[in-house]
Formats: sequence, structure tokens, C-alpha cells
Amino acid sequence: MPDSDVELVKPTDTILVVEDEVLIRLVIAQYLRDCGYRVIEAAHADEALLVLRKAELEIDVVFTDVEMPGSMDGFALAQWVRSHRPGIDVVMAGSVGRAVQAASDLCDAQNNVPKPYDPQNVHERIRRLLASRRPRKPDIDLQSALEQASSLGGSVQ
Amino acid sequence: MTEEVAHNPACDADATTVLVVEDEVLIRLMIADALRAQGLHVVEASNGEEAMRVLQSALPVELLLTDIRMASELDGRALALAARVARPGLKLIVASSLEADDELAGLADAVFSKPYDLNAIVDRVKSLLAEAHHARQRR
Repeated sequence: MPDSDVELVKPTDTILVVEDEVLIRLVIAQYLRDCGYRVIEAAHADEALLVLRKAELEIDVVFTDVEMPGSMDGFALAQWVRSHRPGIDVVMAGSVGRAVQAASDLCDAQNNVPKPYDPQNVHERIRRLLASRRPRKPDIDLQSALEQASSLGGSVQ
Repeated sequence: MTEEVAHNPACDADATTVLVVEDEVLIRLMIADALRAQGLHVVEASNGEEAMRVLQSALPVELLLTDIRMASELDGRALALAARVARPGLKLIVASSLEADDELAGLADAVFSKPYDLNAIVDRVKSLLAEAHHARQRR
């Protein structure tokens, strides 16, 4: 048994990120991973509950958006965590700015890992990703994409 | 503060990004973890609509791995068709619990049956990405 190695390994804290806007979720999740955390992503509270009910998945922090579609919003999810998994910290962020700040604070808490980049970059990255798709109209885009695809030989049921 | 460019999410053009689309969160996590363990940058989408939002953004994505049957309006087949148009160079792997029909087989670079064979999928993702890299270098 390589006992000395075991001592050197710091257990990685796991953060469950719950956010229904995929372009925000992916940036926040990646930032936290770059800060040294293990990150599990959930697109809404129902997915979060599936993860939280898996006892073998150790979660240290639930990082959740406040407003989310589905059966539960961030407040209800936080309440559920408090009564069912009281050992887990809940961080709620009601806006992109707050989410970035909260992620940055969590990053600071990882003392032995240098912060990979400035939170301002994270914010800017989210802003640009959200803006990059704005000029297009997704529904029309998708429709024309499907039409083009059909004309290429595929069929859409 | 000196910025570490390699870690800057705003300049991660060098990172190889794989988009995993699966509406069962625990299965998605298992696949994403297996691919991250290979050093890949994995973006997760929980349905076809989320995947299209990613593909319509400026995010570089080299490979799309999607389940065919999803509860969302945009299922894996429609996503695959739309992705082929939105991102012509994209490598595409589909996973289906049913036998792949000709259309799917013609559309995708690889088809896997479900339940997922993780090792086989990881190997195929790596070989398709290697192909894409070679193709780019030849250009």
C-alpha cells in the first residue's frame, strides 16, 4: 500500500451546479473545475434531486440558480437540501453577476490551488457566449437547418 | 495578475471540446466523467434544445455525442440533422437503444447501441478526434 501517496492526496470537494441556462452553466462549471473542484452539472432541480438522492455521490456544495423552470426553483431546492442532506452547503445566485462572484468565492476557498483566471473573464465569457447567438433567430435557424438537412437526403419525422 | 492564457476560458481555442447530449443526468455524468478523464473538455447538454444553443453559440465544438431518444421536442435525430448543417465539420456519434436505420447510419460517423459501452465510446471519440486533427493538418 503506498501509504505516503494516500496522505498527499487531498480529497476533492464536489460541487453540484444547478442552472437551466446551458451557456451560463457550462462556463461556471468549467471555472469551478479549473479551480480544482469536481463538478456535477444539473439542468434543473429534478436532475439535481436525482443526483442528491444517489448516496454514493458525495456532494459538498449545491450551487444553484434561483429562478428555474420545473417542479422546484432554487429556494425549494435549498429547502429540500436542508431537510434531506443537512451536511451540504447551499449557495444561491440570482443573477449571472452573483453566480460569478459566488464561484469566485468558492475558488478562493480552495487555498492550495491558484485561481486560474479573473472572475471578470468568466463574466465576459458568459456575456459573449450569450450574445454570440443573439443575432440569429434560433427557431427560424433550426427550421431552415432541418429543411436544408431534409433536402440533403435526410428525412425529419 | 498575469493571466494564464492556457487556462483562460476566453481563449481556449486549443481545447478539444466534446458536446455530450443525454437527458438522463446520471448517465450523462458517467459519460462526461469518462471523457474528462481523457483530458477532453466536455460540455453537457440535457436535451436537444440545450445542445442547439451550444452549437449556435461561438463555442468551438469538435464532436457531438447524442442519445437519439430524448424527451425534449428536439430529439437526437433532429439534433443530428440540424447539427450537420449548423456545424458541417463536426464529428457525430449517436447512441440508440434501437437498431440504427440507414438514415442514422448515413448521418453519423459512428452509431452505438444502448446501454453505453463506455470503453468503446471513449475509444471511438478519441479516434474520431484524431481523424479530425489529421484532416486539419493536411489542409
